[in-house]
Amino acid sequence: MIGRRAYGTRLAGQKFKLLPEYKLRCGLEIHTQLCTANKLFSASTNSPFAAADKPNYHTSYFDVSLPGTQPLFNHEVLLLATKLSIALNCDVNLNSQFDRKHYFYGDQPLGYQITQHYSPFASNGFLRLRSIFDDIDQDSKIIEIQQLQIEQDTGKSVYKEQDSKSLIDFNRSNVPLIEMVTRPDFTDLKQIRSFLKKYQNLVRHLGVSTGDLETGAMRVDVNISVNDYARVELKNLPNTSSIFNAIKFEYQRHVDIIRNGDAEETLTHSQTRGWNGSSTVKLRSKETTIDYRYMPDPELPRITLAEDFVPGVSQLMPELPDQVLERLMSAPYSLSLKDAKILTINSNSHDQLYTQHQLQQFYLDTFKMYQQQAGESFNHKLPTNWIIHELLGNMNKLEIYLEKVVEILPPEEFSNLLMFIHEGKVSKASAKLLLFHILNSFKESNFKSTSSLDLSSLIKEFELDAIEVVPQEDLRQICQGIIDDLGDDNMIKGIISGKKKNSLKYLVGQGMRLSQGRIKPHLFESTFKDILGVKW
Amino acid sequence: MSIKAALKRLSRLPSAQERFNIFTSISLNVNNELETSSGPLKGLLFGIKDNIVTKDMPTTCGSKILLDYKSPFDATVVDLLKKAGAVAVGKTNLDEFGMGSGGVHSHFGPTFNPLYKDGNFIAGGSSSGSAAAVAADVVDFSLGTDTGGSVRLPAAYTSILGFKPSYGRISRHGVVAYAQSLDTVGIMSKDLNVLQRVFRVLDKYDPKDPTSLNNSLRSEASKHLVHRNTLKIGVPMEMNQDVVPFEIRQALLKVIESLMAAGHEILPVSLPSVKNALPIYYTLAPAEAVSNLARYDGIRYGYRDEKQDIEDGTLFVPTRRNFGSEVQNRIVLGNYNLCSGSFKNNYIKAQKLRVELINQFDDVFRLPNILTGNEGNPNGVDMLLSLASMSLPISVQDYKSKDMRNPLHSYINDIFTMPMSLAGLPTLTIPAGNNMKGIGVQLSGQYGSDQSILNAARTLV
Repeated sequence: MIGRRAYGTRLAGQKFKLLPEYKLRCGLEIHTQLCTANKLFSASTNSPFAAADKPNYHTSYFDVSLPGTQPLFNHEVLLLATKLSIALNCDVNLNSQFDRKHYFYGDQPLGYQITQHYSPFASNGFLRLRSIFDDIDQDSKIIEIQQLQIEQDTGKSVYKEQDSKSLIDFNRSNVPLIEMVTRPDFTDLKQIRSFLKKYQNLVRHLGVSTGDLETGAMRVDVNISVNDYARVELKNLPNTSSIFNAIKFEYQRHVDIIRNGDAEETLTHSQTRGWNGSSTVKLRSKETTIDYRYMPDPELPRITLAEDFVPGVSQLMPELPDQVLERLMSAPYSLSLKDAKILTINSNSHDQLYTQHQLQQFYLDTFKMYQQQAGESFNHKLPTNWIIHELLGNMNKLEIYLEKVVEILPPEEFSNLLMFIHEGKVSKASAKLLLFHILNSFKESNFKSTSSLDLSSLIKEFELDAIEVVPQEDLRQICQGIIDDLGDDNMIKGIISGKKKNSLKYLVGQGMRLSQGRIKPHLFESTFKDILGVKW
Repeated sequence: MSIKAALKRLSRLPSAQERFNIFTSISLNVNNELETSSGPLKGLLFGIKDNIVTKDMPTTCGSKILLDYKSPFDATVVDLLKKAGAVAVGKTNLDEFGMGSGGVHSHFGPTFNPLYKDGNFIAGGSSSGSAAAVAADVVDFSLGTDTGGSVRLPAAYTSILGFKPSYGRISRHGVVAYAQSLDTVGIMSKDLNVLQRVFRVLDKYDPKDPTSLNNSLRSEASKHLVHRNTLKIGVPMEMNQDVVPFEIRQALLKVIESLMAAGHEILPVSLPSVKNALPIYYTLAPAEAVSNLARYDGIRYGYRDEKQDIEDGTLFVPTRRNFGSEVQNRIVLGNYNLCSGSFKNNYIKAQKLRVELINQFDDVFRLPNILTGNEGNPNGVDMLLSLASMSLPISVQDYKSKDMRNPLHSYINDIFTMPMSLAGLPTLTIPAGNNMKGIGVQLSGQYGSDQSILNAARTLV
């Protein structure tokens, strides 16, 4: 207990650092719930998270293992498993089988889990991390995938400590999972972080899983060893911070043991440890290890795939995220990595107003139309700025879903808006007002105003069009007013003398603000120079 | 069958139940159902082995662990029979979870053999109650399950017909698993016509059963039937041992004589792998059994220890202690065969030997095997004839004391029935003759040739 506390305080006080003489090696085991309509071996609805407030709602007789029930394989799983296997560069096994893994637990109703032990679904794959996309210290790092196996999820135990009872919810029982096992190829934390992000995005991108850690749709176990001593398996890591805190803690624990000369005694047998929020704790060691007594399932047929199944699924595969990023970062789009990621990297799915797929499609369609309209003079930054920055900003402010936006501003209309800006017919400031107005009034109409949008008349109606010709007298009046309001003689003197040339820009900015950008900046500049008698 | 005849059968039930302990539960609706029944099996009464689930009667598997368990659904076989007009009389006693060959290992006590009016003789197991119900003329037919001989041995001991169809012919959906790779629903009756009619109703593909024989293989099988008036019948030499009592061997000879008299050709065949059947069976079946029994933790249904779920740090010990002794033996045996240290040497080896045995059967038969794809042997036999048991029924007391001295003693009872289970072959047990009480012979055919077996049996019955 004392020892544990000591690690805790040290970690809290110091910044974590890998020490060169203590080499870290990690492997990951990731369980991913597949978002099929039905469960793995029954026709029950697969929706464990949505039905969390209705325990045991999505359960068939098989899901609770009634006597006389039998598993019926849901072939929908094959498509998702094959997509993921292809994306992870795995060899798909054309003749895999289901095995039973035996252990007792209250939320495991069969007394065993149906999994794939002897002949898993796919193996020998890899995922490549690259410094340009994935924020790792190496140029490139290959993480080898040992295998992918299809298996059942268990039910869920809910502990009621006050009356020392545990309740069991079988909504999750028999939900399809893919367990993915990597080789112990990770040598630092950045690699692990970027692999997790990349894998999570991949399953979302492929539509294989929601990939959410917080709902348990994705669960991560970590194998860790230091200087090739026996490995420790870390389990019960419910979120990203616990994953990394547990690894840091465990690394430090190993280093201390090795430093103290206790490694030969303490680190020769593998162990399973959990994370309690502040330290890792022993769950199982050699003496209490479980013999799972794996056995081929005697009634489930083998999964046999036709020769042309995998090539067929390859045809259905979307472009993978790295390829999409590469394409978006090169001409004609030439996006920054950050902007390209906004269009590509899927975040948590429930609290977002758009999917990456929708946004990317909107961007690409708008870009294409704008490019056609603008011809050679097109500015690749215009769609980026106006979609990724302005539109998304407004959507968030107004809480409008992208699928609503396209009802009023489909790509062709958005492209028209870009053309007004492109041709200088509206200033940026006016265009911002216009965009906000369009979205806001559409929302206020309860998304019912279906009359087609006429940008030109809107611009006229709100007098947002750029003023090409301003009477010189009006202009002088506005500029003089700005100088008077400023009341800063030092600045004015500086401008006149040429010592504070930049301050002239400040004055021009004030003019732009006053005219809401409708008057071109060069008109203000020449008028200020004229009034002040600037010679430079 | 007329309602009058059915009611007459039914009237025998109370005394038969009292004398032979046949049923674990009895239906109270029989009279009503008889009046409204219609269909090809109208008016036929039947018993259901109590490891086949039913909605309106409990399903106990003869075990304390499932005491009073009531299934929310009917097994496919029960459903099909009800729809065809047959009326269930009750659930029949059995060796717990189908594990046993004497019919003595039940939480409800042993079933006694109705053939022996004096003394308490075993009816054979594990479908003991199903056999006794037919033998006592309480029902027209019964459903049993046969994993290593559990329909055929009690049929022989009670001198009735016991049919184990090809594996996968009859749905297992709703049959509580003992060892799925072997479990087969069987039909028991005294009347071959009734048995055939029942089989016709049950012989259907069931999408709810992952091991159900699919329709394309069924139609493939129907192309390979035996169309001969005189058959070539093989007698496996390995299944005619000197240890078998003289009178039983005599019974087989008599059957052979009558077959030859009818013009059939009888010849000896060799199936050397038959000697491996017992070790293969007792490696695979308990392994599957221990796995299938793992669900009985008392949490969702069935018996649960009132006080605690954990003992000495192990989950569910207090509840699972309520399995009977024979089930516990097989749990230990199954776990031993599955543990990582012995899996390769035992389980995998047994699977290989099982394939070897099937190949030997395929070498002997003239018909091809539609499952293995093995071609038929042009000089092969149409069917095989063998004894169903190597001993006569003994008293329950003798059986129990022999078992006590050596738990393996009763394992040998199934030695002649196991090879067909391991190969999934259709096999019918036929009483050896009027004066040979408790002795049966088996007629077996190539996988899928069920119809040919039933047709050929007409010569013998």
